[in-house]
Amino acid sequence: MIWAVIRPESAQRVIRALDSAGIGGITRLHVTGHGREMGITLGSVHYTEIPKEMLMIVVPDNDLAKTVMIIRTEAKTGPENVPGEGTIGDGKIFVTYVEDTFAIRSAGRSGGV
Amino acid sequence: MPSGPPAGAAGYEKRMKQIIAILRNERVEETKKALKKAGVRGVTFLYVTGRGQQKGRIRVREPIESRNWRMRMQVNGTLPAEGSSAVGALESEETRSPLPGDTEFAFGFLPKRMLIVVADDKDVNRIVQGIVNANQTGRHGDGRIFICPMISALRVRTGEQGDMALS
Repeated sequence: MIWAVIRPESAQRVIRALDSAGIGGITRLHVTGHGREMGITLGSVHYTEIPKEMLMIVVPDNDLAKTVMIIRTEAKTGPENVPGEGTIGDGKIFVTYVEDTFAIRSAGRSGGV
Repeated sequence: MPSGPPAGAAGYEKRMKQIIAILRNERVEETKKALKKAGVRGVTFLYVTGRGQQKGRIRVREPIESRNWRMRMQVNGTLPAEGSSAVGALESEETRSPLPGDTEFAFGFLPKRMLIVVADDKDVNRIVQGIVNANQTGRHGDGRIFICPMISALRVRTGEQGDMALS
């Protein structure tokens, strides 16, 4: 299970790329938050609730690296293909375990996600 | 690649699960009843959009439904102009299907509800069964349930931890 917090602007790019990689199931959440920088200050106003897009994707283990790599490359702003040269606020990717999945339609365990 | 459960944080027993379910909006009320019957008190519902392996494609049959979907497409900006190819948010093959009639469309993301319940290990099966019973229509888009390990819980009001925080 991948929870990715990304810029709303890059969401469409990421989804398109996942699409062409054959990863169909995605859940999107609109969220707000801030990272290490504790938000941004524009003029005299300090913003701590920065709008972000959160994607929840459940993939089999052997697709995990591919999926994370797609999100990484597509959500990164700044110079193309230069790892570590992104911009503050590009987001984060969290990976966690799913012990079991069920498809409600068939009420069956859907190991293949 | 990780597989299997994570090494438990020291001092915590892994005895609870987080149940994340993606449901149809119109089934939420029934789901609440089912959860109540299963003895679940604390639930969190989120408004989300999503799609499954179908990539948001649905088959439109009823004229009235067709109108509804048309409206939704207008809202989403994915309504193809009559007789022309679709210019949708997602320019996939599917969006280029001609309107109306018995056609499939890609909306990309459909409005869904996400349900999060944290429960004791022994209650998980009962809750999953309840959610399935309340949500199963047999059609695509019924949703999915994910069971994830949850290390601990804490009730903010009292500071109770673990099982005590759930009851």
